[in-house]
Formats: sequence, C-alpha cells, structure tokens
Amino acid sequence: MIDDASPDMGFFTDVTLCIGCKACEVACKQWNQLPSDGYALSGNSYDNTGRLSATTWRHVDFVEQFDRINPAESRWVMMSDVCKHCTHAGCMEACPTGAIIRNEYGAVYVQPDICNGCGYCVPACPFGVIALEPDQGVAQKCTLCYDRMKDGIEPACAKACPTDSIQFGPVEQLKERARRRTEELLARNVPARLYGVDEDTSVGDLNAFFLITDRPEVFNLPPKPVLPSTYQPVAYLSGFLATAALAIVAMQAFRSR
Amino acid sequence: MAGVTHGDIVQITPDAVAASLARGDGGFGRNQRSYYDHPVLRGAHWRWEIIWYFYIGGLMSGSAILAAAADTFGAEGDEAVVRNGRWLALVGAAISPLLLIKDLGRPERFLNMTRILKLKSPMSVGVWSLLSFSGLSAIAVLEELRGRGRVPWLLGGLLPRGPRNLAHALAAAFTGSYTGVLISATAVPVWNSGRRQIPAIFVCSAVATACAAQAALLALRGGSARSINKLERIEFVASLTEGVLLVDYASSAGETGNALFGGETGQRLRANTLVGGIAVPALLNLASLFTKPSHAGKPNVVKTLIAAGLTLYGGYVLRKSLIEAGRASADDPRAALRQPE
Repeated sequence: MIDDASPDMGFFTDVTLCIGCKACEVACKQWNQLPSDGYALSGNSYDNTGRLSATTWRHVDFVEQFDRINPAESRWVMMSDVCKHCTHAGCMEACPTGAIIRNEYGAVYVQPDICNGCGYCVPACPFGVIALEPDQGVAQKCTLCYDRMKDGIEPACAKACPTDSIQFGPVEQLKERARRRTEELLARNVPARLYGVDEDTSVGDLNAFFLITDRPEVFNLPPKPVLPSTYQPVAYLSGFLATAALAIVAMQAFRSR
Repeated sequence: MAGVTHGDIVQITPDAVAASLARGDGGFGRNQRSYYDHPVLRGAHWRWEIIWYFYIGGLMSGSAILAAAADTFGAEGDEAVVRNGRWLALVGAAISPLLLIKDLGRPERFLNMTRILKLKSPMSVGVWSLLSFSGLSAIAVLEELRGRGRVPWLLGGLLPRGPRNLAHALAAAFTGSYTGVLISATAVPVWNSGRRQIPAIFVCSAVATACAAQAALLALRGGSARSINKLERIEFVASLTEGVLLVDYASSAGETGNALFGGETGQRLRANTLVGGIAVPALLNLASLFTKPSHAGKPNVVKTLIAAGLTLYGGYVLRKSLIEAGRASADDPRAALRQPE
C-alpha cells in the first residue's frame, strides 16, 4: 500500500563537512551490489572514481585549490556527488516506456524490469548522471535506496557518512536546516551557497541538493541546468514550418504543366 | 588567463609558478573552470543503427510525402512517382523498426515502447508515429496493388483516397521531423543549440533525398522526363533551404557548434553535405527550374544519377555527423558549462 502521506525524502550534502573518506561510495556499492569499476589511478588528487556511472551512484569529488601567495588560504574541498532527484526530471520526461517513475518518497526511480535500454534518458539528464549498464542493458542510477526506505531505514551512503556531510530526511526539513547552515557559514566568512535550492531553473528544486563553497562548475555541476523538454516547442515548430513550406512547393511542382 | 583549468595544477613547473605570481591571481586553482576537465554530460550511445534509421526514416517519409502529393496534384505520367514512393515508404517502414530494436539494450523488451503514449517524450511520440506510418504505408501499397488488379480483396479500400493520402503525408512528415526534435530536446549542447534548425533540416533533407532516389529510379527505368523535372524542382528548393538552415545553425551556435562544424567533422560535413550534397546537385538541377515539365526533353540519365548519388550521400553524412558530434559535445565540459542563452 502506497503511503501518499509520506513527505518527499532527499539528501542534503554539505561540502564543508566532507572529509573525503569515500565511505558513501563503498556503502552504496555494497548495499546495492554494484560491481567494481577496476583499479585505474587517475592522477587527479585522490579521485580514482572519476564520475557517477551506471555502477557508481555516489562519487566523491576532490578539489585542490593551492594559493601560492597566501598558502594559508589553500583549500582541499571534497563533495559527494549523487543523482539530484530533480523536481522536474529530464530522464523521467524522456523515458518512452514509463520505466522511470517518481516513487512514493519523491525519488526518481528506474524500474529495471520495465526499462528496455533505449538510452534516451542518458542525454536528457542535465547533470550527466543516468547511464546504461552494459551487462543488463538497462539504464541505472541512484534509487535513494528505495528498498531500505520501504523498511524505514536511511540510505546506505547517509548511514555510512561519519561526519553527517550527507544528511537524509524530509526535503523541506533539510532545506530549512541547509538555509540556517549557510547563514552560519556566511557569518564566519565561509563563501557558502546552496546548489539546487531556491534557484530559478527549469529543473526546479533538487531533492538531493548541495552546500558548496565555490562556483558550481568547480564541482562539475552545471551553473544553470536546463530541463531539455523546454526546447521542444520551438523544435516542433521548426519541423512544422518546414513541412508546410515544402508541401506547398510539392503541390506547385506537381501541378505545373 | 583563458584556459587556466584545474588540469594545469598537475604540472606545476617553475615557469608556471612565476607566471601565476606575476598575474597575482592567488596562485593555482582559484580559477578552475571545470573539474579536471571531466565530462559533465553523457552522450547518447547511438551508433550505426540509429544513423541509418535517421537516414532511412528521412528517405521513406520524403517518399511518402511525394507519393501523396503526386497522387493528389500530379498529372498523367506521375503514376510512377506514386507507385515508387509508396513502395519506398513501405520498405523503409519495414527496415526502421529492426534497426531501432537492434539498438535497444534489451531488444526482447521492444514492446514496452507501446505500454504508454507520452506526449512529453519525443521518443514515445516517435514510436507511435512510426507505427502509424507503417500501417498507412501498408494500406497505400495495398491500394496500389488493388488499383492494378493484383489484390482481389478490398483491404486497400479501407480509407477514401483523399484522407488516406493526407494521413500518410502527415504521418510521414511527423516521422521525418520528430527525430530532429528528439535530438534537439536533450542536454547535449551542440544539439539543443540547433533546436530552431535541426527539425527543419531533417524535413528538407528527407524530401531532397527522396526526390533524388525517385529521380534516379525513374531515370534508370526510362520513366517520364516530366516527372523527373518536377522532382528536380522540388529537390532544388528543399536542398537550398537545407543549406541555408545549416549555415544559420553554424552561425547561431557559435563556439558550441564546434563539435559539428569544427575540425574533421566540420570539414566532412562541408565537403559532403553543403558542397557535394547540396550545392553541386542544385547546380546540376538548375536547368530543370527554367524548363517547363511539358518541354522537358529526353532525361539526361548520367546527370540525374550523379546529382541523385551526391544528394543521397550528403544526407547520410549529415545524419552521421550530427550523431557523432552529439557525443563529442557531451564529452566537452567547456560546452556543457557554458551559460545557456
């Protein structure tokens, strides 16, 4: 029985608390039984994961910022990236089979037994999150630990996070907490801002949002994500106008003697 | 300062340190433009199956439009355009689903596409459009056979002629243009920056390639010179419109268009589509514009075949370049992180 009364649940990920331990990555892999991605070394700080993928649903960014004039200003910022579970989700709109749904917890969820692997959700995600899993041939991404939530326990990554950099809970409560945290940090001269909350974008608020201390692109987040379906009206119009024009041309040509 | 990215930190040379100090920008890493130049977006996995589907889809839609137009407005002698167009449409409609199913990660689940109709998803709308087009193409061919006394039963007469042609042409136009909406309505920068032009370009290319294929068929089988003349007139307008739209796309996309119009992809597109597939055939077809169909002499088979071959190849290169440019664009963090207009 679906509990319609359940509030939307989500993540508040705070970079000022992340210590880069990657416990979230490991816990996610273990709980969701996701395969290893190999042992390649990237040479990019401690980030040997690279990015989110069909088999990596949490990924810790390691941003190194060395200041050679004021070395004390140097920073090492870590951010645990995840599917944003957008209010207006590009992947969900693009899905032609209805495999991608919003579940009773407000999470964007791929039903693996419905997805037929057409792959159209992949270029439709403004964050490059969802991906095709080659072995199963279906699209996969973070489920917000749907199975754990059914049993009333928090997602594996949030449970494993030792510093509460990843907080799980009702989205509205998390937003309140995040706004307070931002004010606190700003009062202490930390350049904090929220990403995915109170912003005017076509994807809407993100159910998994972030507190960041630099411009979004430093963390590989698009500064102004756009919902791809907003491009449709002008595109349909373009095709319609060309059709109408060529229909007249064809009519004239076949009528000519 | 341009081009200072996090990637530069990996190689901190004494010269780079001196330059950074001279700039006084606070040293390395305060001007990061991306995260180690990692891709921000993911491209579509589409390979040859979808390139060919886009191509054949255009060819079959254009053929059906020409057949419907010739059946409605054509004069005596245009019957071959109707017949060939209907057959080309049906053959295309038979091949297209096979290509689409082969491309799926789970081909045995292709019927899941028909679980729902979702107007927000161009993929879903396209599947239903293709299904309608296939059905209408089958009816059109049955009608063709019935008209020639080859089909004794009445199946072909399900719909009266006018509505049948109109429905076939509309389904064809939608099937030929939704693929343009499909790629425009994605997060891929080079695709969505062409949303004003790509669907129209696909429609123009569909009609131009279909005219070329039909003209070649007529020329090879000793068809009517009048019909060839008419097809070449239509092709001329469709091709030139396509060329103008491509140039407009290139200039309005700016730097974001580099994945398609820059480098080797751009060279191939300019040589094979803009020049080879549009300008040269247009010049070859120019004479038809100034000759009335009734005054068209014996068709010049070689000229028609060359023009048709170039147009058909240019249409293929257009689809291939667009799909490959989509992946390159998605992999380019600078394109993805550029502020949208």
